[in-house]
Amino acid sequence: MMQQLAGYAPTPMQARMENHGRTMLKVAMASGQDLYARTGSMVSYEGFIQYEPNPPAVRQIASQWVTGEGAPIMKCSGDGLLYLADYGADVVVINLNNDSISVNGTNVLAFDAHLQWGVEKVKGMAKFAGQGLWNVEIAGTGWVAITSRGTPLVVDCGRGEDETYVDPDALLAWSPNLKVKGKRSFKASSLVGRGSGEAYQMAFSGQGIVVVQPSEDSSDRLRVRG
Amino acid sequence: MAREFQRGHKAKISDLTAGTDLYVGVQISAPGLTFDISCFGLDANEQLSDDRYFIFFNQPKSPEESLQLLGAQAGDTESFRVTLDRIPPQIQRLSFTATIDGNGQMSQIGPGYIRIVAGGEEVCRYSFDGSEFTTERAVMLGDFYLKDVWRFAAIGQGFDGGLEALLKNFGGEVAEEQPQAQQPQAAPSFGAPATPAAPPAFGAPAGGPAPAPAPAPAPAPNFGAPAAPAPQQTPPQPQQPSVHTAPTVVAPMTPPAGTVPPPAPAPGQHAPQPGFGQQPPQQPQFGQVPGQPGAPQGFGQPPGMPQQPGAPAGYGMPQPQPAAGPGLQAALQPYKETATGARWTPQNQQMMRVDLNMGGTPVLARQGSMVMYQGKVDFSYKSAGFAGRIIGNATGQEMQLMRCTGRGQVFLAENGAHLHSIELQGDGICVSAENVLAFDESLQHEVRRIEGHGIPGGALFTMQFQGTGTVVVKTHGIPVVLPVTPTTYADSNAIVAWSSAAQVIISSQVRLRRNSFPGHSGETVNLQFRGAPGNFIVVQPYEV
Repeated sequence: MMQQLAGYAPTPMQARMENHGRTMLKVAMASGQDLYARTGSMVSYEGFIQYEPNPPAVRQIASQWVTGEGAPIMKCSGDGLLYLADYGADVVVINLNNDSISVNGTNVLAFDAHLQWGVEKVKGMAKFAGQGLWNVEIAGTGWVAITSRGTPLVVDCGRGEDETYVDPDALLAWSPNLKVKGKRSFKASSLVGRGSGEAYQMAFSGQGIVVVQPSEDSSDRLRVRG
Repeated sequence: MAREFQRGHKAKISDLTAGTDLYVGVQISAPGLTFDISCFGLDANEQLSDDRYFIFFNQPKSPEESLQLLGAQAGDTESFRVTLDRIPPQIQRLSFTATIDGNGQMSQIGPGYIRIVAGGEEVCRYSFDGSEFTTERAVMLGDFYLKDVWRFAAIGQGFDGGLEALLKNFGGEVAEEQPQAQQPQAAPSFGAPATPAAPPAFGAPAGGPAPAPAPAPAPAPNFGAPAAPAPQQTPPQPQQPSVHTAPTVVAPMTPPAGTVPPPAPAPGQHAPQPGFGQQPPQQPQFGQVPGQPGAPQGFGQPPGMPQQPGAPAGYGMPQPQPAAGPGLQAALQPYKETATGARWTPQNQQMMRVDLNMGGTPVLARQGSMVMYQGKVDFSYKSAGFAGRIIGNATGQEMQLMRCTGRGQVFLAENGAHLHSIELQGDGICVSAENVLAFDESLQHEVRRIEGHGIPGGALFTMQFQGTGTVVVKTHGIPVVLPVTPTTYADSNAIVAWSSAAQVIISSQVRLRRNSFPGHSGETVNLQFRGAPGNFIVVQPYEV
């Protein structure tokens, strides 16, 4: 029995964060190197790791995000190995090297606590995208893990003369230096119930990248569960 | 059923079989000779730019397992499993080759063949024998290549120089010649004797057991393991010298003296399986620390783990390991958009890009399936007529389409379903309406209704496509393609598509007593298919 299962044993860590399979994130924790992770994303850990939901630092930075039940982020500290997952979504590990990236709030899985980060509401989007679209802008040098329902796709913006339009439900992340605006592709005919199904898009212009997922499922599963 | 190919014949794979999960068998033999049969995964320039796609005995599968070496079976000297729709977009050509291991020439070979088997049935075979060759020591048997769609060509071209010549042809490098001293009888295999002055490109210090760190000579050049020292990967495998020697291509032998290159303290690694290039190439891309013991696949799959052909999902999936890399760009590199000149380009298994600039005809797509677009694209409701007819049936089976017009690229995806583009050239296919994601408006399409008691909603709606163009079909999970035989049945909920020449019959299993069991099997309505050989059905592992 063990022989068949042995293939799924964790491999030795070579870096701060690694994928285990495509849907699980493995983080090497050490004291002094705290991590922020989505509340509820922990599936397993080895060693001595402590979790602090809704820590004061987060409350300060993400005060806007806090909508009564607290920011959906916990602080993890300690020594050991931490495994995180988000309901089988693909995990993409990014090692920021003095870069910055803006990630849709529901798609943040974990990031190093020493990174600079901030939460902002995407302008113009709150009006039409149900709960509003929050994004977390992360910058500095360190590790970030984001989730994606399906294999993500990265597109260069500003390659052509036109803007890039993205379905907000499929949007994962983008370069913060891009200009963002909402776009409604309403037409008169849409109002009588005959829309193309694509009523709102976000338009990106400038030089940078946009990351999308092949699914329009943007529901926040970790939060739905409560 | 099986089509006989002659040298130079070409055909679309989709004309041979609807399947994309193919078995490729090669039979080649000659008295007293052994052959190394390998598969080169080449890029658009027919170069081996990524040596993880050189599939041979020492590297039995590609990282995402779209190419797998299965070994001798079913009368084949060597066999491969090729999953076309999982091959990454940068791989545009798969070249199957056979090289003589040792002395000999191709004229000595007896009758042999390369064949493609799909769904248990041989669909194509290219036979050859020694009379077609002379003194060659290697031969390219056949190629799969991507030209809009995957095609197969029977090549049958010989190469005098053996494996090196082949590798050179593909832009690879033999980083180092086999140290002759080390494996007296085995090493020569590889043509060293025949072409003693191996082509200079290989930069091989001819013979001497040159210490390893050399191999990095080719940083960019494809084969070269990126600066990371490849060598330690493939220590000589004395146990199977006769077979295992030749193509130790990139990873040259580390001479016993053990010049293990500094950054890789991996002495304890299992030698044979990991194949040569696996780890080093991964390292630069994904930043895995080199020399990671025993984890060449990233997930720590034990190298010898039995392949489960049926279950390719899960672990070994294409998910490259974006473990690190310095910086954002590196981490996201594996997910970059792939642009080809084609109108329909799969970006990954779950996303399709359509370039409206090409071809000019609008595309009809399921409403809400657009995830992104660039350029000036207009999305409009697909009006009346046809859509109305579908929606009109108050069955809950509605199919709302939108028309994408204009100039630019549209990216389509839905719920992470697997997408498959099917190019029709005058032939017809029926697709269950739920599984249609998008299609060229130039195709003639009509909606058919299959009625039957017990089908949820009272009927199954299918769309029949005919003409020239592309249909994108989505499936949950990896579908199976079955040939239509007198006893082919499918669950009406799991059926995805079938060739339009097949006839559908509803077969209900009526069991009188079925209601007496509260938990009867539930499998009561099946579709039976009838048709001439050559028809097929596609079934997904998910009952909608």
